[in-house]
Amino acid sequence: MKSLVDYIQAVPARQALRLDVVLLPWLACLVVALLVHFGAPLVVNDYWVNVLRRIGVFVVAAVSLNIVNGFTGQFSMGHAGFMAIGGYIAGGTTYYGSLYLHGSVNAPEFLTQGVTLMLTGLILGGILAAAFGYLVGLPSLRLRGDYLAIVTLGFGEIIRVMLELTGKQLYEASEVQGRLLPALASFPLNGPVGFERIPGYASLFWIYLLVAITALVAFRIKQSSSGRAFLSIREDEIASRAMGINLTKYKIRAFTLAAFFGGIAGGLLAHTGVNPSPTDAAFQRSFEIIIMVVLGGLGSISGAVLAAIILIALPELLRGFAEFRLIVYAVLLITMMLVRPQGLFGVREIWDIARRKPARRGASGRAT
Amino acid sequence: MSRFVLDAQGIGISFGGLKAVQSLTLQIPPRALHGLIGPNGAGKTTAFNLLTGVYQTQTGTIAVDGQATHGLPPHDIAKAGLSRTFQNIRLFSELSVLDNVRMGSHLRGRHGLWHTLLRTPRFVAQEIAMQARAMDLLTVFGLQDLAEEQAKNLPYGSQRRLEICRALATEPKVLLLDEPAAGLNPQETKDLARTIHRVRDEFQLAILLIEHDMGLVMEICERITVLDYGVTIAEGEPAQIQTNPKVIAAYLGEPTPDDAASGVATPTTAHGA
Repeated sequence: MKSLVDYIQAVPARQALRLDVVLLPWLACLVVALLVHFGAPLVVNDYWVNVLRRIGVFVVAAVSLNIVNGFTGQFSMGHAGFMAIGGYIAGGTTYYGSLYLHGSVNAPEFLTQGVTLMLTGLILGGILAAAFGYLVGLPSLRLRGDYLAIVTLGFGEIIRVMLELTGKQLYEASEVQGRLLPALASFPLNGPVGFERIPGYASLFWIYLLVAITALVAFRIKQSSSGRAFLSIREDEIASRAMGINLTKYKIRAFTLAAFFGGIAGGLLAHTGVNPSPTDAAFQRSFEIIIMVVLGGLGSISGAVLAAIILIALPELLRGFAEFRLIVYAVLLITMMLVRPQGLFGVREIWDIARRKPARRGASGRAT
Repeated sequence: MSRFVLDAQGIGISFGGLKAVQSLTLQIPPRALHGLIGPNGAGKTTAFNLLTGVYQTQTGTIAVDGQATHGLPPHDIAKAGLSRTFQNIRLFSELSVLDNVRMGSHLRGRHGLWHTLLRTPRFVAQEIAMQARAMDLLTVFGLQDLAEEQAKNLPYGSQRRLEICRALATEPKVLLLDEPAAGLNPQETKDLARTIHRVRDEFQLAILLIEHDMGLVMEICERITVLDYGVTIAEGEPAQIQTNPKVIAAYLGEPTPDDAASGVATPTTAHGA
């Protein structure tokens, strides 16, 4: 039989160059963001617009954690740590950048300096979180299961403690201007109090643009040979290695990618008017995201999206039950885990469930 | 350049005081069918794990197609041209049959992150090629209609074939089969013998086979190495192995004077046919 290289050369060029496949999905991301940004305020009030922003942030967090916990099967419990890193870096970039460049936190906003600073901060935060993701990925080569979970849990706690030890926040432009680097040397991120007064530049447009991009990236990975390599590691590490998968490379790639988008999610959250504080890195936040991934089904991207929507929206919808709402929430979760332990969709996507059932009946019909 | 496609010289490993495999030498020319047999616990699977890099050999050298592979991690050994199946089937059970085989060709492709995310022509062509090649392989094994099925839903015999199919997708020069007939009925075992011959001829590769079914081993293997307690006790053609007194002793125990007088049976284990 011919080798893979021969097969590749036999593919006609016009089949390989698919401009529609290359471009359209990115345009679709833009359309989604614009639709949500201008559509949502027509339908819901300001309070729910804020809930929508929070939902978007957690969709990004859940979809990115799914790359590690869902695709690759490495149980990471430190995602909040990556989010906190992204949050402080992005928030710090916007806050101190505005003070330094404009002498005030209230820089001119849309598509001008303020938003540019936020986007720069998001990317910086994502990159730093990815660097930490790389470091946290290293132990995953030797540890698995509970032990890896404990190491990643410890990582989140380390980040929390380090954030508590940061210096006092600087409020005056004069403290920053002309001496930016010395001023930042004390890490003025306001210690245990939490970093304040970050402008809320993360509008629905930016949040849902990144939701769409994160989901697109996750899909493209899942439907590629790299993605199948992630899944094969989850299925059976020994067989995966024997098939030539470099476990080191792929585990670290999964951690780094997940951390990058986790950092972005944290950066967005910091720009929604919620002050980043050290407890954001603690395990409660990590659990919250893990619950989303598990509820949606480990490995299912649409499942993670839906679960994030449900788990953020549900407590809001249950406000009518007042003090009982946390009990109702817990009971719903327990019921869910008893009825569908594999999560809402297992490893599949929403549309697979509708499509694959008749196909399977057909296949078994042929076999018998 | 060695004239052997798999050339292992004096490999061995000890676990604490237990010498699992000692100074094993296996030299397999291209397109050979070689058997590795021995009683339970003789170290056959350990030998496979040494060859494929699951364990690092503590002594000796291994070369696959002229490339030294001792000390390399398993994925590099797979890339050098050694592929295997497992005694207890290890498919990616939640993935589809097609995905299992496509996973096999992963190591022959290139997987830059940007190409994956941007769907460049190189990426698209590779995905099309992987799918086409996987379907062709599945067709060779008669599994093409089950391509979309999850691997865990396949009947046992098909899972065994799928494992061979996945191993072949890595474009190996040597294929290691760890007890491929385990759990198969006599008819399936006959089919397997034909399959192994066909695989060797169509894919032009050498096959090293661990097997307990002596009928199968004696029928298809051109040479056989016998292990007992980690030590090579015999190597030769099937006819020589069947009459080798050491092999008979290893399988049936030391002959008593009575046995010796009445002539000894060939070491054919019961395989219920």
